[in-house]
Amino acid sequence: MRLGRLLSLVASNLRSAWVRAALAMVGIVVGTGLLTFFIGLGQGLREKVLERIFPVNQLELEPRAVQIFGTEQILGQEPLDDARVRQVAGLPGVVRAFGKQKSSFPARLWGGKELLGYNLFTEAFFDGIPAAVVRGELEELEGVSAKRGPSAIANGDRCELDLDCAAGMGCGDGVCVPIVWADRFVEVPEVVLPCGDGDRCPQGTTCQQGRCAKAGESAPPQRCVLPAAAGTGRDLQFDREVGELAQPCADPLGFCGMPATTCGEGRYCAADHPETRLGWCERPLPAVINPLLLEVFNSDMARSLGAAPIGSLAVLFGVRFHVALGDSYFSKDADKHRQQFKQAIVVGFSRKAPELGVALPREVVRHFNARLKGNAAAQAYDTILLDTASNQDVPQVIVEAEKLGLQLSRKSRAARTFGTVVLVTSLALVLLAAVVLAVAAVQIAQTFAMLVHERRREIAVLRARGAARIDIAVLVLGEAAAIGALGGLCGGGAAIGVAELVDRAAARFLADVPLVPQGFFVFPMWAVPLALAVAIAFTVAGALAPARRAMRLDPAAVLAES
Amino acid sequence: MTAAAIAIDASGLSRTFIADQRPVHALREVSLRVAAGESVAIVGRSGAGKSTLLNLIGALDRGYQGSLRVFGEEVRAMPDRALSRFRNRQIGFVFQAFNLLPNLSVGQNVLLPASFGTELGHGERVERARYLLGEFGLADRFGQMPAQMSGGERQRVAIARALLLQPPLLVCDEPTGSLDGETAAHILGVLHGIQRTHGTALVLVTHDPQVAQSCDRVVRLDKGRVVDAVGAA
Ligand SMILES: Nc1ncnc2c1ncn2[C@@H]1O[C@H](COP(=O)(O)OP(=O)(O)O)[C@@H](O)[C@H]1O
Ligand SMILES: [Mg+2]
Repeated sequence: MRLGRLLSLVASNLRSAWVRAALAMVGIVVGTGLLTFFIGLGQGLREKVLERIFPVNQLELEPRAVQIFGTEQILGQEPLDDARVRQVAGLPGVVRAFGKQKSSFPARLWGGKELLGYNLFTEAFFDGIPAAVVRGELEELEGVSAKRGPSAIANGDRCELDLDCAAGMGCGDGVCVPIVWADRFVEVPEVVLPCGDGDRCPQGTTCQQGRCAKAGESAPPQRCVLPAAAGTGRDLQFDREVGELAQPCADPLGFCGMPATTCGEGRYCAADHPETRLGWCERPLPAVINPLLLEVFNSDMARSLGAAPIGSLAVLFGVRFHVALGDSYFSKDADKHRQQFKQAIVVGFSRKAPELGVALPREVVRHFNARLKGNAAAQAYDTILLDTASNQDVPQVIVEAEKLGLQLSRKSRAARTFGTVVLVTSLALVLLAAVVLAVAAVQIAQTFAMLVHERRREIAVLRARGAARIDIAVLVLGEAAAIGALGGLCGGGAAIGVAELVDRAAARFLADVPLVPQGFFVFPMWAVPLALAVAIAFTVAGALAPARRAMRLDPAAVLAES
Repeated sequence: MTAAAIAIDASGLSRTFIADQRPVHALREVSLRVAAGESVAIVGRSGAGKSTLLNLIGALDRGYQGSLRVFGEEVRAMPDRALSRFRNRQIGFVFQAFNLLPNLSVGQNVLLPASFGTELGHGERVERARYLLGEFGLADRFGQMPAQMSGGERQRVAIARALLLQPPLLVCDEPTGSLDGETAAHILGVLHGIQRTHGTALVLVTHDPQVAQSCDRVVRLDKGRVVDAVGAA
């Protein structure tokens, strides 16, 4: 039968029995609606909740612990060193692996005045993370590709200093270009790492004249003197380039009659230790924070602190704060001469940064671990961060890692558990939708059995006028497919509509609850086509038996009935 | 009568149904020849097997014994698709109950045979449907629904539908059975007009002696057998 003719026959038949067609469609609409809804919810929970906390294909491994009298004890075994990291990196399915080293020294940090109007003070915890591990994420969350686009650079104004340029722009090679913060998170930043005899320096540097210096350093940092008003350097203002150059005077505390000069834009004078005013011109430590910190602050802390919520991550770029390394509110301080008071600057956001703490370049943390706690503290990593090629590789990697005496970190375990719960729940709900669809198919079968019976005379006439058996089957199935297509579109569309309403309601009524995501639903591109296909499949399946009956009707016998 | 000019050639044609697990011999050993362009009336009492014979001749029913050739083709030997196509091209049906499709307009009903694979273009088909309706005095009814029409009008639509693809054989089961005398005479005139102008063979079942007399030949059936054949053979 020709397609156009088929469609118009189907349409006229459906029109004449539209009430029954609509009733038969109800089950299909409900079934495909549930299916689409649950697919969107499952995908949304994975993408918007789980992935935000910890991406599924990124794992964190720690040495395997055993429970002894209720406490976790790490088995006596070799430390997590580079050799072990290489072992993990070599596992099948692992794309790359890096050691992470936490700070083992006491520290505190304070700052936030430029943002909040007053300073927050807190004990500080640092994770040392290799720059390469977070690079991609930093660039993504910052939107670096747009900043590097031709339009961003084309209309650059001429400049000498960053100050000559608009907000968010910096001076590079005499023209204003967008600041790419991610570029500042490097393994060995322009920071003076003090050292003494026997102290460990980062790879590629050696201890020279009290600091770790690169071999062929082109522009060594300059000596500077903190102004008297700055006291021991604890309360320096960020907005002034504080400190006067001490070089090239022989007497480090004299000015030699030269005009006072500052450390230069983007640098500040960091004292050698808290009890001296002599220091080095250097840049702030590049710091990466967890994006969830902002939500925790906005939802839990801002109100009790009387501060306004922070609108977006973007305003945090370039925010500076003070860190006191080796100085603590709680525990025993390190030797004064080993303590460091430095500044840090927020250069990006990563889910690999600690939720409550700050990520610094690993070599920096490592250096201070060695300096403040001894070289042994800088030897081993605490955990290994790894990326797998895909989610499917994760279970195998976990098994292999266990053979190496490693297990998932608490965070990774929680993420996996949550992921499994989401998956199992979505599957159960999809199964429920399948049951509804199966019931709907039975309903379709009954309706079509009735329609075929009522129309058997019309079918016989069609056969007499030249319709082959297959034409009759196609006609009945075409009618079923049309009902399915309409039902699938209605169901899928309704599900997306309801999801949108739920998301809006959540945005409105759950705005103050911490960690509530921006909506719970993500509908993949294939969601509606799938709903359509499933709906058609179930209606056609339901109509199969009636279609067979219709095509096997004996037209002569039917026409003989009067 | 040459072989090419024979529309229907049945010999030893039998048809047995099973009803309540007992055989019903609706036709027994019927032999019948109909020439192209000839009109034959089949008469007989109710239950004599007239409709059964007509369904066989119309290639709607393959469950016979004996031999039945329609335009030289053994009906039983054709597979469903070929047979459906054969019906579509070679045979026009007209029923007592008109059997128009109630969900389709008059025009769509007439165009129905063209739905099943034809070389006719859309314009040509519609033109032919309009022409046929015009011939039968229904020129302005193309878009109407059958339910709005009288019995005589519906039967004319059914005849137009049967003629759309210009089949060489028209089988009519009591075409005037539901119509009053005047309308019946008109329909009969239409059918014989077609027979004359197109050389269409006409096989019709009727109870009406006048209708039977109008045909070239009358075949009487009783209990499934041909008992009497009147007219030129
Ligand atoms: N499909 C069928 N199944 C069983 N018996 C049938 C069928 N069609 C016809 N018959 C029987 O065959 C006989 C002839 O029927 P039919 O050809 O319809 O007679 P007529 O048209 O002459 O009234 C009747 O006894 C009828 O009951
Ligand atoms: Mg009959």
